[in-house]
Amino acid sequence: MASVGNLRATSITYRLILRQLVTGGRVLALLALSAVLVLVSLAVGLSEDVENPLEAGVALIDLMGFTLVVPIVALVFAAAALGDTREDATLVYLWLRPMGRSPIALGAWLASVTVSVPLTLLPLAVSAVLLDAGSDLVAATILAALVGVLTYAAVFLFLGVLVRNPVIWGVVYILLWEGLVAQFGAATARMAVRGYTRSILTSVTDVDLDLGTLSMTMGILVPAVIVVSALALTSWRLNEMEVA
Amino acid sequence: MTVAPPPPDPNTRVDVGPMVGDPMADNIVVEAFGVTKAFGDVVAVSDVSFRLGPGLTALLGPNGAGKSTLFRMLCGLTPPSKGNVRVFGKNARRDRDVRGRIGLAPQQDAMFDRLSALEFVTLAAATHGIAGPEAAARRSLDLVEISADDPKRVGAFSKGMRQRVKLAAALVNDPDLLILDEPLTGLDPVQRNRMIALFNELAAAGKCILVSSHVLDEVARLGSNIIVIAQGRLAASGDYHALRNLMDDRPHRIRVGTDQPRRLGAAILERGVAEGVSVVEDQLMLDTRDVDLFGRRVAPLAVELGVELNELVPLDDDLESVFRYLVERR
Repeated sequence: MASVGNLRATSITYRLILRQLVTGGRVLALLALSAVLVLVSLAVGLSEDVENPLEAGVALIDLMGFTLVVPIVALVFAAAALGDTREDATLVYLWLRPMGRSPIALGAWLASVTVSVPLTLLPLAVSAVLLDAGSDLVAATILAALVGVLTYAAVFLFLGVLVRNPVIWGVVYILLWEGLVAQFGAATARMAVRGYTRSILTSVTDVDLDLGTLSMTMGILVPAVIVVSALALTSWRLNEMEVA
Repeated sequence: MTVAPPPPDPNTRVDVGPMVGDPMADNIVVEAFGVTKAFGDVVAVSDVSFRLGPGLTALLGPNGAGKSTLFRMLCGLTPPSKGNVRVFGKNARRDRDVRGRIGLAPQQDAMFDRLSALEFVTLAAATHGIAGPEAAARRSLDLVEISADDPKRVGAFSKGMRQRVKLAAALVNDPDLLILDEPLTGLDPVQRNRMIALFNELAAAGKCILVSSHVLDEVARLGSNIIVIAQGRLAASGDYHALRNLMDDRPHRIRVGTDQPRRLGAAILERGVAEGVSVVEDQLMLDTRDVDLFGRRVAPLAVELGVELNELVPLDDDLESVFRYLVERR
């Protein structure tokens, strides 16, 4: 009896989901969001009132890039990657097959990352350049954005198979948890992705940010653990869920 | 005709429902034992048991009877709340190899609308691990008479074409168990005939094919083995012709339009033209087991009595009433 190997199943899922995810409306809406960050960065970069461009740049990138652009872009694509197939009942065409669940989760995550990375890294990198605060800010922004988008994508992929209307739940999570609860102290900051992206920014630029106190190693290692855990949970959920 | 299956016992093989082909244990493809599915307080399927072997079986039931839920449980898409389902002796929800032996055409219209027919069926072939998926997809599309070279996206297809593409996707892995949920919906008469012939060919080749429908006449052409499900329960199962006779023997209710309902009703009852008579809001209602005989005798009787006979309206000729009758007589 034919069965599909994990690599092949990942590749099939990746190509299918990638094709389903990219729609003009989504890309344009998210580009508009990124454009706001770029324009504000340009304004700050051109301003002569800024005493310390690096500190101002780090604060702006952290505030707009990592509380808005990165999580929202990742949410839109990752929650839709499997969430859309669940909601429109096309998941059955992947589920009722001689394929493992992990390759489906992995392929969907890779597809959402493939779309999210250019839509976050490029505008954030451009913003960092426009802020005119040196190469450390650009490097820190790129590294933190990469870590952030990979991590958020895994978390929101799981959310997409966990709840209905995952985008609404995701926005609530971004605003309340990442934006509010994570600000209460070091302990809660460690329970939010933003605590790690912030630590990367701090580590590379040496600019102090509130609650960005973790080492670079922790800033990369913990998100990696979150990614693996979220993908494992997504596979488990795929195995246990009821499919329309 | 088997009606009212015995209480389910997962440890015992019970002969309930149709057993198509050789009823040896090795030939059993699907077994359902006391399967119940509830969504909150709503019971979609209640205590259903049957066994199927190779061959074509029609699952008949009105809309909302629980057919799709039953199919979803057979495929492992949703677990039963009670009872258990075995496909090739295993649980499709947990066994990857079993999933590879099933072809499902779901009732819902959802497809990957941005793909062409060839891409959609090639995807189905690839996800089944078939070597040369495009060639397999072309063969499958050819079976359902859809051009593999049509560049249109399936999202732009008509309902009938989408239905046939779903069928092609279900057939592409040459499944041993083919589950088709209302597969003839949206097809024109010629396509229906072609698909029914195809199902019969596949059944003759030893495949187990389960086709659902809510159209009685359609089921008549699908084969002689049927399972009737109504209000989530197994109402009847077995040979189609026996069921048809049973349905023809049931009492039929007819509304008779006349200017003198009480007089005509009394005469009808006196002459034994009908078994039951009632007058409701000046409307004459009759119950008869032989509609043809009633039709032949009522008009001369009206002439004899000198009453006007305006109309004869059968009130329970729809499938819902047939199913209701089957359920109520259990």
